[in-house]
Amino acid sequence: MSDTSWLSKFPQLERGDLIAIRKTLDGAYREFSRNYGDTIESLFDPLLTFLIWFEKLLIASPWWLTIGVILAIVYGASRSWKLCTGVLASLLAIGILGMWDDTMRTLSIITVCTLLSIGIGIPTGILMSRSNRAQAIVTPILDVMQTMPAFVYLIPVVMLLGIGKIPGVIAVIIYAVPPVIRLTNLGIRLVNKETLEAATAFGATAKQRLFGIQLPLAMPTIMAGINQTIMMALAMVVVASMIGVKGLGQPVLKSITNQYFTLGLFNGLAIVALAIIFDRVSQTYAKRTQKHLGGMNND
Amino acid sequence: MHKQTFVAGAMVLLSSASFAADSCGQVTIADMNWNSASLMANIDKYILEEGYGCEIELIPGDTMPTGASMIEKGEPDVAPEMWSNAMRDALQKGVDDKRLRFAGSSLSDGGEEGFWVPKYLVEMDSSLATIDGILKNPQLFKHPEDDSLGALYSCPAGWNCQISTQNLYVALGMEEAGFDIIDPGSSAGLSGSIARAYERGQGWLGYYWAPTAVLGKYEMVKVDFGSGIDEEHFTTCLTQEDCLDPRPSMWPPAPVKTMTTESFATREPAAYDYFTKRSFTNNKMNVLLAWMEFNQADGEIAAEYFLKNNEEMWTNWVSADVAAKIKASLN
Repeated sequence: MSDTSWLSKFPQLERGDLIAIRKTLDGAYREFSRNYGDTIESLFDPLLTFLIWFEKLLIASPWWLTIGVILAIVYGASRSWKLCTGVLASLLAIGILGMWDDTMRTLSIITVCTLLSIGIGIPTGILMSRSNRAQAIVTPILDVMQTMPAFVYLIPVVMLLGIGKIPGVIAVIIYAVPPVIRLTNLGIRLVNKETLEAATAFGATAKQRLFGIQLPLAMPTIMAGINQTIMMALAMVVVASMIGVKGLGQPVLKSITNQYFTLGLFNGLAIVALAIIFDRVSQTYAKRTQKHLGGMNND
Repeated sequence: MHKQTFVAGAMVLLSSASFAADSCGQVTIADMNWNSASLMANIDKYILEEGYGCEIELIPGDTMPTGASMIEKGEPDVAPEMWSNAMRDALQKGVDDKRLRFAGSSLSDGGEEGFWVPKYLVEMDSSLATIDGILKNPQLFKHPEDDSLGALYSCPAGWNCQISTQNLYVALGMEEAGFDIIDPGSSAGLSGSIARAYERGQGWLGYYWAPTAVLGKYEMVKVDFGSGIDEEHFTTCLTQEDCLDPRPSMWPPAPVKTMTTESFATREPAAYDYFTKRSFTNNKMNVLLAWMEFNQADGEIAAEYFLKNNEEMWTNWVSADVAAKIKASLN
C-alpha cells in the first residue's frame, strides 16, 4: 500500500481484522445462546403455554360460538349494529373461502401481541412523557426497532428460542410497539398546561393528574397510536410466518412462492379484514367513551 | 471419410471463429442469496470479464423470483445454480417455449436431499442413522409446542420438497410413531433451528439439502430409509400433492443446472459454451463452502481464491487462449 492511498480510497480495516471482529462477535453470541438459551427459553414458557391454549381454544370452539362471542365483544365495545353486520359478513366470507382455522390462529397471536404491546407501550410512553432523559434514551431505541430489518434479529432469536410462536411474538412486538409509545408520549406532552395548573391549584396529586387529566385528555392521540400498533402487528404476520408461526402468513408465503396469486390475495384480504375489525372496534369504543370530551379536542 | 474430416474441420473453424470474435456484450448473472450460487456467479463474472471481454452485472436473486423473471422477462441472462425441481413445471415450460435453456449441470453429482440428524446423535446411538431407530425414539426430537410429540422439521412453505416431505411422513408411518411436522416458514428459519439444536447438543430431525454451508458447518448424517431410491415412484407419486399410496424412497439426486435464457445462448455462443462446461462435484463444493464459512468470505473473495488455487479445474472449462488471459489477469 502506498502512503497516499487513503486519499483516494477509504482507509478501511484490514480484511483479516474485519473477519476477526465478525468471528469474535458471532462466537460470543453462539456461546451466549449455548449457555443461556435454555434459561431464557424457560422464562417464556408461561407465555407459550398461554398462546397454545388460546389458539387451541379458538380453533376447537364451534365456529358459530366464536362468531357469537366476537360479535358480542364488537357490540359491547361499539354499540353499533352496522359494525356488527360488517364483522359478521367478513367472518362468514373468511369461513366460506376456507380460511377459518388460519384466521383463528392469526387472531389468537395478534390479540396477544396487541395486548402485550399496549401493556408495554403505554407505561413506557408515560415514563417518556414525564422525563426528558427517558425520552432521550428511548427515542433512538424506537428508531432502531422500527427500521432494523426484521431478519437481522429474527434468526438470532430463532437460535436462542427455537422456531415458532415465541420468536414470532417477539418480532411482532418489536415492530409494532413503537407507535403506541411515541403517541402516548406525544399525547401527554400536548395536554394543555393551564388545565394541569388548574388541577395542581385544586391540590391534585401527581397520580390524580395523570389518571384524571393527562391520560383522558391524551386518549385520542393514544388511540391513534394503538390503531397504528394493531396495523403494524398484522402487517408482520407474513414475516412472522417465515420463522414458523402458523396462521394466515403461511398460505401467503406458499402461494407467492408458487405464484398462486388469487390464493395469496384471499389470505391477504383476510389479514386486512382482521385489521379493520380490530381497528373499527377499538376506535368506536374510544369515541364512545370520549363523547364527553366533545369540543375540547380536535376530532 | 474425407467428407467427415471436412465437416469436422469446418466445425473446428466455425467454433474457433466464434471464440475469436471478442464481441461479448452486456451479460446479467443472478447472484443467488446462498453461498455456493454466489460463488459460482462470481467465478462466472471473473472468467467472462477477463477471458471473454463481457460486461457483467450481478443481480441479486432467489430461485423463485429469478426463475419467474427469466421465463417472463428474459432477465437476468444466466442463473448459475438452479435447483430445477423447485419449479420444475414452470422451467420445463420455459424450455419448451424456447425461452430458456439448461446449459449444463452446475453440480455434477446433483443435489443431495434427505432427512438429516446431527452426527453426535448417531455417535451416541448408531441406530439413529436409520428411520427405524428414529421412529422408536420420538422423545429425542423435542417438539417446540407439545412435549408428547417428536418433531420433523419440514421443508419451507411452498417449496416443492414440502410435498415430498409430507408424503414421506405418511409413507414412513411417522404420525403413528408420535411425530408431528413443523413448517419452519423459510430456509433461514430451518437453518436457524439446526443451529439452535446443534449449539445445545439437542436432537434434531428434518429435511435439508447439500451441498450447503449449513451442512458444511454442522456435521449431519443422512437418515437411511432402508428403501433405496425408487425414482419412478418418487417422481410420479411422492412429489405430487395427490399421491394416494406413498411408499418410502430416498430422494434421487436433484438436478442442479446452470440455466440461461434462449436469447443469451444465441447472442453469446462463446460464453454459453463456457456455461455448458462449468461444473463442480459435491466434494469440491463442500470444501469451497467450508473455506468460505471459515473465512466468512463472500462470493467475490472466494471466487478469486478458487481461480488462484484450482487452475486444473477451470482451465478445462475454457479454451487455451482464454485460460491464458485469465491467468495473466490473476497475477
